[in-house]
Amino acid sequence: MTDQEKIAMLEEIWELDEGTLATDTVLADVDEYDSMAKLSLIVLMDDEFGVKLTGDVIKGFKTVSDILKLMVIA
Amino acid sequence: MNAIIDLSNKRILIIGASSGIGKQTAITLSQVGSKLTLVARNEEKLKMVLDDLEGEGHDYFVADVSDVAVIESMIKEIVEKDGPLDGLVYSAGVGMAIPFMQSKPEKVQSTFNVNFFGFFEVVRQISRKGRFNPGMRIVGVSSCASLRGDKSKAIYSSSKAAMDSAVRCMAKELAEKEICINTVAPSMTATELYNYYIEKYGKDSKTNKELLTRQYLGIAQPQDIANAIAFLISPAARFITGITMPVDGGLTTC
Ligand SMILES: NC(=O)c1ccc[n+]([C@@H]2O[C@H](COP(=O)([O-])OP(=O)(O)OC[C@H]3O[C@@H](n4cnc5c(N)ncnc54)[C@H](OP(=O)(O)O)[C@@H]3O)[C@@H](O)[C@H]2O)c1
Repeated sequence: MTDQEKIAMLEEIWELDEGTLATDTVLADVDEYDSMAKLSLIVLMDDEFGVKLTGDVIKGFKTVSDILKLMVIA
Repeated sequence: MNAIIDLSNKRILIIGASSGIGKQTAITLSQVGSKLTLVARNEEKLKMVLDDLEGEGHDYFVADVSDVAVIESMIKEIVEKDGPLDGLVYSAGVGMAIPFMQSKPEKVQSTFNVNFFGFFEVVRQISRKGRFNPGMRIVGVSSCASLRGDKSKAIYSSSKAAMDSAVRCMAKELAEKEICINTVAPSMTATELYNYYIEKYGKDSKTNKELLTRQYLGIAQPQDIANAIAFLISPAARFITGITMPVDGGLTTC
């Protein structure tokens, strides 16, 4: 799966326009990245990649690329 | 001494007995004399609960109640082996937080299979002639979530509301058979489910602090819920049927 495809998945769950996110987008600058967006991410990672995200791991995400690194099918 | 709750020699089936609220209910009911039949999917855990019970005559049965097709034969087998039932506690349940827009049909289906369809079919099967003793009492473990609106809880809350609603209707039909049926609606309780919640949000998180403001008596212990179940399953509650009893540390008053 390419980075572009992974970014498209994030844009879909966060209901962002296509092209809003890039690998170096700082998450703190994304208005829509709130607690519900984090929950959507937890569900996406579990459903699509079998990855169980904890609160600590999520706190460590600074940019989109930090998330992409974990979007790997086991 | 005149004990209000005495379940001596009453055969009670507990579904979802291998952990959390169901496990604590099993221990508590054994302490007031019940003979228990425990059901869950994990045999090792069921055996460990069996070791924690007081008294004799307890039994267990391994089953996945999300597959409603197995329920009729399961109940038949249990009644043949352990005799007609005096009570049922249905504590099996799953409860993931899922944003509404990610609540795909298969997720709705899998939650309802355990939380609602399994319960519905178990109640129907145990209420058939010969499978219960007069005065049988049933308690479903619902949730305060059924009474409130909350983000990411559309599937879970509706599955529990379905249980509560069905119980109000079942109570009327089952009264003719001298069966009473109720639900308890716990708020956040210190089981694996809560540990998962804390792992996700953190103990000092805003989410957890807000929860404790609403649920102002603190986090429930499984024993708090087991005590309410023990009352509702006992003849002491003979005049109560068709209700949902919040056991919620004040949550529904907010
Ligand atoms: N903890 C809370 O804060 C809270 C609050 C309100 C309501 N509740 C409700 O209370 C009930 C018990 O929750 P809990 O916190 O005690 O959770 P838990 O520790 O996860 O216990 C759930 C029980 O259900 C069994 N179970 C799950 N799926 C099953 C299936 N398909 N077939 C047979 N057994 C199944 C599990 O055993 P196996 O895995 O061995 O099958 C386990 O014994 C649930 O209905 C939950 O919705 C909990």
